[in-house]
Amino acid sequence: MNAVLLLTGLLVLAYLGSFLVSGRTVRGAGLPSGIEYVALGFVLGPQALDLVAGDTLASFEPVVHVALGWLAFSVGLDFGFSGERRVSAGSLVLGTLSSLLTGGAVATATWFVLRRLHVDVTPVERLLLAGGVGTACSETTRHAVRWVVDRHGASGPLAVRLDEVAHADDFLPLLAVAVLFALEPAGNVATRVPLRDWPAITVGLGLLLGGGAALLARSELRLEDTWGVLFGVTLMAVGTSARLGLSTLTAAFFAGIAVSLFSRHRRELRAMVGPTERPVLLPALLLAGARIDLHMSPALPWIAATAIGTRLVAKVIVGWMLATSSRSARKGGLLVGLSLMSSGGLAVCIGLAFALRFPGIVGDTVLAIAVLSATAGEFIGPVRLRRALRAAGEIGEAEAASPAPGRVAA
Amino acid sequence: MSGAAAAGRKGIGTRAAHGLLLLAFCALLFAVTRAVPEVHGGLWTITAIGFLLLAGTLTSEAIEPLGLPHLTGYLVAGIAAGPYVLRLLDEHTVKSLSPVNTLALSLIALAGGAELDLATVRREARRLAWASLVQCMLVLVLMGGLFFAARPIIPFTRSLPTTALVGVALLWGALAVTRSPSATLGILSQTRAQGPLATFTLAFVMASDVVVVVLVATAMSIARPLIDPSASFSPDAFVALGHSLFGSVALGTTLGLVIAAYLKLVNRQMLVVLLVLGFGASTVLDYLQFDALLTFMVAGFIVRNMSKQGHKFLACIEQTGNVVYVVFFATAGADLDVPLLRGLWPVALVLAGARSLVTWGGSLIAGRLSGDPPVLRRWSWSGLVSQAGLALGLSTIVAREFPSIGTPFRALAVATVAINEMVGPVLFKLALDRAGETERREAVSLASIRPGPG
Repeated sequence: MNAVLLLTGLLVLAYLGSFLVSGRTVRGAGLPSGIEYVALGFVLGPQALDLVAGDTLASFEPVVHVALGWLAFSVGLDFGFSGERRVSAGSLVLGTLSSLLTGGAVATATWFVLRRLHVDVTPVERLLLAGGVGTACSETTRHAVRWVVDRHGASGPLAVRLDEVAHADDFLPLLAVAVLFALEPAGNVATRVPLRDWPAITVGLGLLLGGGAALLARSELRLEDTWGVLFGVTLMAVGTSARLGLSTLTAAFFAGIAVSLFSRHRRELRAMVGPTERPVLLPALLLAGARIDLHMSPALPWIAATAIGTRLVAKVIVGWMLATSSRSARKGGLLVGLSLMSSGGLAVCIGLAFALRFPGIVGDTVLAIAVLSATAGEFIGPVRLRRALRAAGEIGEAEAASPAPGRVAA
Repeated sequence: MSGAAAAGRKGIGTRAAHGLLLLAFCALLFAVTRAVPEVHGGLWTITAIGFLLLAGTLTSEAIEPLGLPHLTGYLVAGIAAGPYVLRLLDEHTVKSLSPVNTLALSLIALAGGAELDLATVRREARRLAWASLVQCMLVLVLMGGLFFAARPIIPFTRSLPTTALVGVALLWGALAVTRSPSATLGILSQTRAQGPLATFTLAFVMASDVVVVVLVATAMSIARPLIDPSASFSPDAFVALGHSLFGSVALGTTLGLVIAAYLKLVNRQMLVVLLVLGFGASTVLDYLQFDALLTFMVAGFIVRNMSKQGHKFLACIEQTGNVVYVVFFATAGADLDVPLLRGLWPVALVLAGARSLVTWGGSLIAGRLSGDPPVLRRWSWSGLVSQAGLALGLSTIVAREFPSIGTPFRALAVATVAINEMVGPVLFKLALDRAGETERREAVSLASIRPGPG
């Protein structure tokens, strides 16, 4: 498949994805994580049918970077909010703790497995691999709860709490990506900068560009000009951070946060950018699937099993933490934390960012485990969430018994 | 809120903040290019697009109080950032922006066709016919003659025999007839001008695209045996031209009908559809060697006039407006060969000035013949001064077809087009302002968006 054909195919996919924005047009199709698009990419990619060759994929790297940057910008713009509702401070703390605990536990377990299995990597690579797997496994997809809530008409404090936690746990993983990327600076940087400064530079870059965009948006630009500014800021964040070997995801995420913080038009900007998220995500998921190489390391099954198992345990513990602070969560049952097992777009994007930045065993393993974790979450998360909401009395028996169609979510 | 109202509300503080932001973005790019030198590839092209979008928007905001059009700001930003001034973008990066430019041009042509209303064209047919005839003939003959007469100040023509010089002068005259649809549409998009001057200029410039393509092909066929005595006049070029023109119109019509059907039946995510069309159709057109500008223009014209979807389509296209124009003109600015312009500016200035004068004279004659209203007699020439991509594209073709004079001919064309590119939009904006045709429609601002639930 040549590049133009692939590009056209991706645009058609983006077009189809745009129909899933409202969820009404083709309701009943799709999975919450969007993992089926990753599977489609895998089938088309070099590991299966080889319809999309490896060199064609390589020529699409800039497009993938832009897609990841735009998604991260969108996540940053929405960070701390669930729809129009501001996420409570308690949920923000819990979400951050949840990602810290889950990511930390998964990273530690992965590090030990790598050492135990004597995987042939340098100490820095081991740290990168363990950290990458940890960050990719730490988040809960923001729309998983909304998917179940919308589908089953659930309402109540537990649904709100879980929704808010899922919306608040993106900060640490994206910050961790910046720290991990700094561990192996790009070799072509002419200026010597201490390692510890690179994450700060990544964040500063995003905040500077996002702050600039917010300042521009304040001056009552025309709508077309506003699009230009948002595109411009995201592309600059992606391009400059990639040139420096920094995390494009983190820079774009902080640009989004800065726009959200400093602009009085956050709601309007969110209304502009929100509908573009899925049309960008689906092609990114497809390209991520095409890059997956499940045979790159014999240790992969063991690492994957360890990461997913640890994630499961960590989420159960997060559920207990949730239960101590919320009566409704206690009603959800002992395993309420498993409701947060769904991961999706952002996790795969983190995996893809690692695959682009560290091609080889590190990047490929992180991407593969991000996808496997999202797949496992697909089997556990929505089912446990329905059960927890039903136990909490926030969802009726009739609705809970209905099948589980859904929408793709980031 | 209208653009003027917004501009009026922007105080010194806002302008200063914009200036500081522009400096900050430049400083950031400068620091990154110095920290990591010599990196090429798609990612840096993306950064270049981002930077040009921001710098172009900020520069256009900065020059707005001077009454200058936004296009001038985009061009200035591109020139400043380009490989000959601040060197924030190197030549390789600027060249790699060409696919994005192709996409921008296809969207501009679609918009141009969609802006043309058949009823208006019919109403203005007599005026357009006179204007096209007079402008083409006058500019072709007088500019060709001037080029011939200016032999002492144009170095590469001094060694040419007289017959060859006649041929080159004919090519120059044909090139001088070209206008800039993109500059015209860019100005109209920014000012949202409505009135006889805006309508006439748009219709004239769009129609002149076809005329110019035919004229240049004819001039090349006639000039070939004059420049190269071993060559003979060949009608093959006209066969190829006919194939290209009819093919472009046919494909454009099909494309237009498909877009109209889509708008009627689906009418969603037009931006993505436009991107598919822009990339996909441009590749196909390139393969078929059809005229992309004409094809997309016809497609837009069909949607506007052969269906009831024209207004929906225009609204969709307007959403892409600024991004497309900033990228197109800022890239054109970055691509401007400043050292070449520095070397050739006296000759280029004479030729560009003479072209403006001839165009002005032509509009007076055409206006008298077709009984134009005073506003057109006074200002109709102003929109015809701009030249941009079309002229450069044709000069490249001439350079390729006539290698003996190709390089210096193209260099002079680039220098002259650069002057027209800078001066033309300013003149047209000034004329629209003076004619009272700007700021009649309100621009959609950010504050007008209604956030949806959750």
